Amino acid sequence: MGGAREALAEVSEGPDVVTGETAPAAVPARWPVPGWNVLPIVEGLVLLIALVLPFVLQDYLTVFATRVVILALFALSFDLVWGYAGIMSFGQALFFGAAGYGVALLARDLNVTSIFLILPAGTLIGLTAALLLGGFLLLGRYPSSVIFVSLGTLTGSYAADRLARGWYYLGGQNGIPSIPPLSLGSIDISEGPVYYYMALGILVVVYLLCRFLVRSQFGLALAGLRENEQRIAFFGYKAQHLKAIVFAIGGTIAGLAGSLYAFHEGFVWPNMLGVVFSTQVVLYVLFGGSGTLIGAVIGTVIIEGVSFWLSDNYRDVWPIILGVLLLLVIMFRPLGLISFVLGERERVGTFGKAPKERR
Amino acid sequence: MATSFAAAFEIVSFGAIIVLVVLGLGIIASMMGIFNFAQGEFVLLGAYVTYLASAHGAPIWVGMIAAPFVVGALGFVLEALIIRRFYAAPIVAMLGTYALGLIIRESVRGLIGGFYLTVPEPIGGSIDLGSIHISAWRFTIIVITLLVMAACYLLLSRTSFGLRVRATLENPALARASGISTPLIYGATFAFGAALAGLAGALIVPVFSLFADLGIRFLIQGFVAVMVGGVGSFIGPVAGAAVIGTLSAALPWIMSPVVADVLVFVLAIAFIKFRPQGLIAGKGV
Repeated sequence: MGGAREALAEVSEGPDVVTGETAPAAVPARWPVPGWNVLPIVEGLVLLIALVLPFVLQDYLTVFATRVVILALFALSFDLVWGYAGIMSFGQALFFGAAGYGVALLARDLNVTSIFLILPAGTLIGLTAALLLGGFLLLGRYPSSVIFVSLGTLTGSYAADRLARGWYYLGGQNGIPSIPPLSLGSIDISEGPVYYYMALGILVVVYLLCRFLVRSQFGLALAGLRENEQRIAFFGYKAQHLKAIVFAIGGTIAGLAGSLYAFHEGFVWPNMLGVVFSTQVVLYVLFGGSGTLIGAVIGTVIIEGVSFWLSDNYRDVWPIILGVLLLLVIMFRPLGLISFVLGERERVGTFGKAPKERR
Repeated sequence: MATSFAAAFEIVSFGAIIVLVVLGLGIIASMMGIFNFAQGEFVLLGAYVTYLASAHGAPIWVGMIAAPFVVGALGFVLEALIIRRFYAAPIVAMLGTYALGLIIRESVRGLIGGFYLTVPEPIGGSIDLGSIHISAWRFTIIVITLLVMAACYLLLSRTSFGLRVRATLENPALARASGISTPLIYGATFAFGAALAGLAGALIVPVFSLFADLGIRFLIQGFVAVMVGGVGSFIGPVAGAAVIGTLSAALPWIMSPVVADVLVFVLAIAFIKFRPQGLIAGKGV
């Protein structure tokens, strides 16, 4: 129980929380066998399963798997923002949905479906939205409180949802239906194995970029930010700027995921912008394990998979089970499912070549 | 004249409803530092209890009186079992209470199905003032809101319980050293906040009818109101709720409802950004 409570304090990012005092006590207990890296094995396994999946699954399941891959990309964006920089973005769907709506409008009004225009456009929309919102919420003369940032993002997402619901140009409650398929030259990329591998390829590339990012010096600063923001500020880092940068990167990835999602589903609807998707992605990441990139992916796969599997017979009960599971994870496994196999040292990771100290 | 009076009544009555919902949220946020995401579901539960009572043939006011007690008791239990673990970590508290809210909401959804269930008004009809007719029940809500506000204020500022609550808020360590059982105070405060939400749910269910997403509608508005008013005092969130409630009821009269809806949130967030301490800064009552 003590361990759980200490880890709880570690997940919380409040500068006034006594993280610095409790964290070291939690570390030694969980170290795995030295020299044995679990993370690459887990990552390799997940990639392997993802690669062979379309050969084993029926067609309609491949479509479902594609959706999960895109949502995993979305989860990655939230994990970067919350798991690494400690910004609770309760409105991550704002960027996801804004990009989705943006590319849907491009396709509907301008007949643009080329993949080389759509994906950059979606990414750009996500980036712009995140820069605007993040710049407003995070930057400024005084540091914003964690509560303000989380409620601000939540409110932003909720307001966008309401706007989309009421605005006739965006299709109101029904959203924008029947988006034409994505095209590469004269070929249509419709849902199925091709779309799956494309989404998976993008996910792998983004994952590797993120992995590089969080293992760089920048990532080290981020880890410090997450563990103790005040100390990082005393070291001379501009904590606000770091946060705004990560927030923008997160928004960019969410935008990419949103444009993929819009074209995969073939329609966009207000929930994509709003609280539903925003909280969904929080569930994925918390469940899988925030602060590890692969945790976000695993959480998405498990939650979406089980929800798909249960939806035939236990549709009504599933959200309740999900709530209970989430509560249990928050209370007893704050680092998510991945923490069953992944030790504390590997989660934090090493930076640079020959680490003299363990942290 | 008649329409502007009707508009004013609409605005005041919606403002009263928001104040009623925010009271509990504000007390929990100010006194305990927790933004309770399950508050909307406490409102929903209050509404559900009222509906149950009326569905089983009891007079509606029986359900309305029972609702705050049932929800308050549940709040006390939840605080002791779960919320208590989250005090040091505001973000984890948000997530934990969100999970709680999810459980409550989906359970109620399972119980009532996807329907909109109506509950009749205990005081029906309308009050006629010359050519103007105003809903008697909405008028009653305004009166009850004023009474509840006054009672809360007196409870926190004049009684020894209120003194203990404020002492615990101000300096928990010193309060403990002075012999105040802070865990009990926290439990009681949380139960009190939950009970207020239950009461709010019971009173508004005849107006909005019962559906599973009843609480969500008020939750974000409530949070924004608490932030605008200022966390840390009793009067701050109430003032914030009055401002937000009035704005969101008044703006649709002068511009398109969609724009008004979004504008309220944008204005509120911008206000909080440049005045983080809120309308009324400071601790205490």
